[in-house]
Amino acid sequence: MTTIPSSTPGWSKVQIPRPLQRLFDLFPLRAYEPNHLPERSQQLTSSSLPTLYIFTTEEDARLGLPSFNPTCLRWQTLLRLTGLEFRVLPSTNHASPTGALPFLLPARSNSSSSSSSSTSPPSSSSPSQPPPPPPTPIPASKLLPYAQSHANPTKSSHPATSGDRLFPTRARAYVALVSSHLRSAWLCALYLDPSRSDLLDALYLRPASSSAAVRAALRRQLRKAAGEQILDSAPAAGALQSGSGSGSGTGEVGNNKSRGWGWSWQEDGTAINPRAVYASAREAMAALASLLAESKTEWFFDADAPSEFDAAVFSYTHLMIQYMSDGEEEAGALGKMVRRAGEGELARHREMLWRFAWPEGNGEVKEGR
Amino acid sequence: MLDEHRLTPASISKLEVHGAPNTRRALLDHVLKPLVDDSAAPGTTLGQVLDRIGEATRKLSRFDIFKEEGFNVFLSEAPRPEGAPADRTDLEVAINVKEKSRLVFTAGTDFGNAEGSAYTNAVARNIFGGAETLSINASTGTRTRSAYNATFSTPINGNPDLRLSVEALRSATQKPWASHEERLTGGNLRLAWLTENRDTHILSYSSVWRQLTGLSTTASPTVRADAGDSLKSALTHTFVRDRRDNPMLPQRGYLFRAVSELAGWGPLQGDVSFTKAELEAQGNLPLPLNGASLGAGFRFGLLYPLPTGYSLTGTAQPSRINDRFQLGGPTDVRGFKLGGLGPHDGADSVGGDVFAAGSISALLPLPRTGPESPLRLQFFANAGRLVALSTKTKSKSKGKEGKEGREGLAMDSATVFKSVKSAVGELGNGLPSLAAGVGLVYAHPAARFELNFSLPLVLRRGEEGRKGLQLIPSYHSVSGISSSQHGP
Repeated sequence: MTTIPSSTPGWSKVQIPRPLQRLFDLFPLRAYEPNHLPERSQQLTSSSLPTLYIFTTEEDARLGLPSFNPTCLRWQTLLRLTGLEFRVLPSTNHASPTGALPFLLPARSNSSSSSSSSTSPPSSSSPSQPPPPPPTPIPASKLLPYAQSHANPTKSSHPATSGDRLFPTRARAYVALVSSHLRSAWLCALYLDPSRSDLLDALYLRPASSSAAVRAALRRQLRKAAGEQILDSAPAAGALQSGSGSGSGTGEVGNNKSRGWGWSWQEDGTAINPRAVYASAREAMAALASLLAESKTEWFFDADAPSEFDAAVFSYTHLMIQYMSDGEEEAGALGKMVRRAGEGELARHREMLWRFAWPEGNGEVKEGR
Repeated sequence: MLDEHRLTPASISKLEVHGAPNTRRALLDHVLKPLVDDSAAPGTTLGQVLDRIGEATRKLSRFDIFKEEGFNVFLSEAPRPEGAPADRTDLEVAINVKEKSRLVFTAGTDFGNAEGSAYTNAVARNIFGGAETLSINASTGTRTRSAYNATFSTPINGNPDLRLSVEALRSATQKPWASHEERLTGGNLRLAWLTENRDTHILSYSSVWRQLTGLSTTASPTVRADAGDSLKSALTHTFVRDRRDNPMLPQRGYLFRAVSELAGWGPLQGDVSFTKAELEAQGNLPLPLNGASLGAGFRFGLLYPLPTGYSLTGTAQPSRINDRFQLGGPTDVRGFKLGGLGPHDGADSVGGDVFAAGSISALLPLPRTGPESPLRLQFFANAGRLVALSTKTKSKSKGKEGKEGREGLAMDSATVFKSVKSAVGELGNGLPSLAAGVGLVYAHPAARFELNFSLPLVLRRGEEGRKGLQLIPSYHSVSGISSSQHGP
């Protein structure tokens, strides 16, 4: 943590003589009301609702529509299920206390809002008392406890989230299917597949900067990070194609026609084979679909209401259907893969959860590109 | 006697420069050729010739490739050819110079502006023999975590007072007053010239990718909302007129500085669009008492959001924290913490769009050390106001049109104008934030120290005054133009 210039550690330990202290306390002689916060800050941070910082567009944020980032969407969905009233703000990982979105910022306490409505003369008792401190951010890991203690009780009608939120023991075995297989397929299709670089640009790069050079630098960073994440979960996903011959260029998209495949990704000399990544995603979807088929309710694990696991699955199935429904399944049309898994259980589950969490959306699920 | 000699007609028949093996002939010709040519004109006197030689050597020294102490000029009378008219003296001039080292490595530490840093610097001088300089810098410090820059600079048309330079830079700097780190990657192209009356002009274009990242856990919502990437593409003009007798301990003279910047508008592109102006005026007057002087300074700055593209009436985005002004600090407005003035969100100083600051100080020699010593007793008072542009400012007057009716951040041009106007008006609302104190100043040519005792008299809640003693080291007082200095 960096030092905050609010105190002078060296000097504050020195005992100041009482009379001098009393003299110091007289100053400043006059303290006016605080300065206004800048316009941007007032517009973005003075809501009376808690604010969830996620990857989203400005327009979607205004309408409260789902984030295009699976991790953000998962938490956004969960928060909506808890009945917490909040608004969303487009943001970047740089803003987050953990280095990754999402996080939630509670509303400013009323007295700290810098509106000039209170024009009363400064109180003489503590003229230099600073305004109350701004709220501290709540990282994703602490979102649920916060939501539960702050949610509007009349709206929180979802027993699954107010009761046992933790993954049931059975669920833990299936979490890896989502967090590794589905995730890798999503990363691979969005970040590494050169045919979707327009989508990547539209979602992540254009909001960051209008400059082509900046976007190119960010694109390189994003692709490298995505490649590394896929490799991290690769043993599970079976995505590796160890040390292929041409593999010296790191983090490069290469055309490898000999394999009869459009492209492959080289990361530190290890090739990522998209076909293997997608195949393991298909297996994972089949497993999830049959798990749904086994359930006595429409949610996973016989639950009466959607749980965290439902939100996690939804965060991928929804985005895959919305953004990746075009093209060949083998070429990363993950939306088609979702629809075809099992007997369509995953697509039905996604639609159901969408209606459940976004009831104002008229039940209309946006069909993707 | 001497005057008599000065009036005798003279011309230069031959001019030689010794000791410049690495310098191109063309560069020397640019400076010295006119000397020889002009002196051929009839009616040229010895005095004029001497003056011109002096002028030329000063010009040579401004290239910064010759040693200051190495200049020697020898005059001798040329042997008169048979039968030549004896109406004037033909002179042979020999100028001896010593070239400075072409490659210089320095490493050291700096203290100033509340930061300590260590640096290494490599300068290659006179690379192609035309007084071109390549300077490569790397430094790390308590606040500047890392900074690298490389600057290539060359005089244009053999003129030491007209220089073109290209710079590439990359840095990561902590901004503890606003709980974040700013990473810069970019470059600039600048043209700097010195006018005949020693005023400096710098015209520069810069394009910088700024990344606001590394937020501390306590960072305020304002800083979080501004985190991320932006590209600033800007044209800047800087004018400096420094007529102070001694920048470290000025007793007489004045300084005037004006910086204007246009970012993002029209062909400039980029993610931020605004125009920004900053003025500084500083004057010093000696007092009747020997070694005592009175100084006063005033600064003003304004940021005006502009629409992107070529429109002047389109919607504009409000400013971000890295474009807004910061005010307060030991070398800025004494008696306040760094960035201690202006809007604060919690502990974060989030900056403002309009500021005005003034200071007045009296320097008195100490009884024991006298006026010759670099030590002075100082009394000072300084005041400042830093205000952010806000459409909500007039919330008393039914702020309907401001916040509620709008979607998103963009402001139309009428709203921008109105809120800038009201921010400027806000400068005069109530007393400015004010601090006064007394202290000691020690001004060495290379560094200046102040030890002050000060108290804040007036401030806005949230602003951070500094009560008590404060030691201020600074190694140069005028920042911003030092990197482009040329000439003595």
